[in-house]
Amino acid sequence: MMEYPEIDKYASLDSPMHRFDPRAKIIAFIFLIFSIVLLNDLKLVLIGFLVSILFLIASKLPFHFVIRHLKGVSIFIIPFLVIMPFTVKGDEIFSIYAIKVTYEGLRYGILVALKAFSAVILIFPMVATTKFETTIKALDKLKVPNILVQMLMFTYRYIFVFVDEFQKLLIAMESRGFKLGTSLYALRTIGNALGMLFVRSYERAERVYWAMQSRGYTGSQKTLAEFKMCTKDYVLMVVIIAFAVCLHVVCYAY
Amino acid sequence: MKKEAISVKNLTYTHPDGTKALEDASLEVYEGERIAIVGPNGAGKTTFLLHLNGILRGSDGQVEVFGKSVDKENKEEIIKEVGIVFQDPDDQLFMPTLFDDLAFGPLNMGLKGDKVRERVEKTILSLGLMGYENRCPHHLSGGEKKKASLAAVMSMEPRILVLDEPTANLDPKSRAELIKIVNDLNEREGITVIMATHDVNAVPAIADRVFVLNKKVIAEGTTQEIFSDGALMKANNLEVPDVFKLFEVLRCFGYNCEELPLSIDEAIEHLMRTAEVNGGHIHLHIHEHTHDEVKKLRSEYEHH
Ligand SMILES: Nc1ncnc2c1ncn2[C@@H]1O[C@H](COP(=O)(O)OP(=O)(O)O)[C@@H](O)[C@H]1O
Ligand SMILES: [Mg+2]
Repeated sequence: MMEYPEIDKYASLDSPMHRFDPRAKIIAFIFLIFSIVLLNDLKLVLIGFLVSILFLIASKLPFHFVIRHLKGVSIFIIPFLVIMPFTVKGDEIFSIYAIKVTYEGLRYGILVALKAFSAVILIFPMVATTKFETTIKALDKLKVPNILVQMLMFTYRYIFVFVDEFQKLLIAMESRGFKLGTSLYALRTIGNALGMLFVRSYERAERVYWAMQSRGYTGSQKTLAEFKMCTKDYVLMVVIIAFAVCLHVVCYAY
Repeated sequence: MKKEAISVKNLTYTHPDGTKALEDASLEVYEGERIAIVGPNGAGKTTFLLHLNGILRGSDGQVEVFGKSVDKENKEEIIKEVGIVFQDPDDQLFMPTLFDDLAFGPLNMGLKGDKVRERVEKTILSLGLMGYENRCPHHLSGGEKKKASLAAVMSMEPRILVLDEPTANLDPKSRAELIKIVNDLNEREGITVIMATHDVNAVPAIADRVFVLNKKVIAEGTTQEIFSDGALMKANNLEVPDVFKLFEVLRCFGYNCEELPLSIDEAIEHLMRTAEVNGGHIHLHIHEHTHDEVKKLRSEYEHH
C-alpha cells in the first residue's frame, strides 16, 4: 500500500514546540535554517547541528516517525559524504589505487552533510508540530503571496485524493492480473495509468473550480484563523533568531 | 399566485468538444417546490444544473432566477440565491478542514469574521455536524462527506438548493438521513429544492414534481403522472419505483387500485383503505388473464 504523506501526523502531541505560535515558529526556524546553511565553519555547523537535534528532541516527535522521514532524505545526502572526499583536491590522507582521499574533501563532505541534515531536522519542529492547515494559515498571516498559499492548500487537500485514485487504478490493474515490475510491458501499462490519472485530475480540477465559483470564488482566497502570540512565543522566537545571528557573528569574528 | 424561482427557456449547450448536451431545454420551478430531474446517463442533467447559477452559459436560451436573468454582471447575486451541491464531495470540499469549507462561501460574500463564524456555527448545528469542525474532509465517511457538502453550500443561505445525484453512493441510513435533511430545509425554511437523480425510489419521498430530461425537457408532471406513463419511462431508459412495480403486479392478481402507490407510506395507506372497504380483508386471486398480464409486465421491466 502507498502511504499518505502525513507530515502532521503527530501535530496533536504536546511539547514546547507544539505550543510555540505557528507564525513565530516559522520565522524563527527559517532564520535558523538559513543561518546554518550559510555557515562555512565546521565547528559552528556542528554546534548548529547539535542544537537542531535539541529542538527535535524538544518536539517529542516519535523516533520512528522521524527516522522514517530522514531515511528518504538520506539517500540524497549520503552520496555527498561518499563522493566529496574523492573528488575535492587537497592534502592526501590515503589513497586507494590511484584515487586520492583528501582531507579537504572529507571536511567538505561532512560540512555539506551536516548542514543538510540540520536543515531537514529543523523542518520537524517547524512543520510537524502544527496541523498543516494551521501552518498554511500562518503563512497567509505572514503575508506569503496568496497564490502560493492557495497552491499549498490545494496540494495538501488533493494529494490524498490523488494517492487514493492511483491506488484504485493499481488495484483495478492488479485484479486483472497485472504485475508491477520493470518489464517494458509493465512500464508501458504504468505509463498509461499515469496518463489516465492526469486526465482524471484535469477533469477533477475543472469540477473543483466550478464548485469554488459556485461559492463565490473570484481568485483570491481568504482564510479565518486566530493566532495569539504571548510573551513566551516572543521570547523563544527572539532567542532562536539571536542564536542564528550569533553563529554568524562568531564566524565573522574568527 | 406562485412565484417563479427559476425559469429556463430554450437552453442549448454544446460542450467544447462538440457533444451536444442540451437542446432547447425549458422548465419552470416555483418557489418552495421540490423538483426532481430524471433522465438516463449522459442526458445532460449535470450540464443543466451547472447553468442554474451561471457556471456554464448556453449558446442559446435564457435562465432566470427570481426574475433576474443569469449573466456575467449579476453572477455574485445569483450565486447567493442558488447553491449547488456537486455529486462528488471531493469536488465540493476543497478546503483543509470542514470549518474552512463552511466559511469559504460566507467569506467570499464579504462577511466579516464574527458573522462568518456565526453562519458556520448555525449551519453545523442545523445539519448535525457538531464536532466535525476541525476534521479534514478526506477522513470523513461517505455519508458525512455528503452532509458536509450540503453544509458548505447551506452556510451561504441560498434560497434555491440544487443537488446533483444527492443519494448516489450512500448507504441506506445516510440516504434516509439526507432525504430528511433536505425535506426539513424545504419545509422549515421554504427552500426551493431541485435535484437531478437516478434514484427513482427516492423521488417520491423528495419531489413534488418531476421533469424528464434527455437533452431537452421531454415531460413534466407529478411523480404519479410521470411514473404511470410506461411508454415515457421505457423510451428514456428510466425505471419506476419498486413499490410501484409491486402494485402493478398485485393488480394482475385482481387488486383494485387506480393510482398506484409510489412509496412505502403510500402503499400502507392504500392497503389500509382497501382492507377497510372490504371488511378487513384484501382479496387476491388468479384469474384467466393473470399469467399473461404478469408475463407482459415482467418482459416490460426486463427491458431495463
Ligand atoms: N466536460 C465535458 N466535456 C465534454 N463533454 C462532456 C463534458 N461533461 C459532460 N459531457 C457530455 O455531455 C453529455 C451530458 O453529460 P452530463 O450532463 O454529465 O449528463 P448526466 O449528468 O445526465 O449523466 C454527455 O454526453 C457527456 O459525455
Ligand atoms: Mg451527472
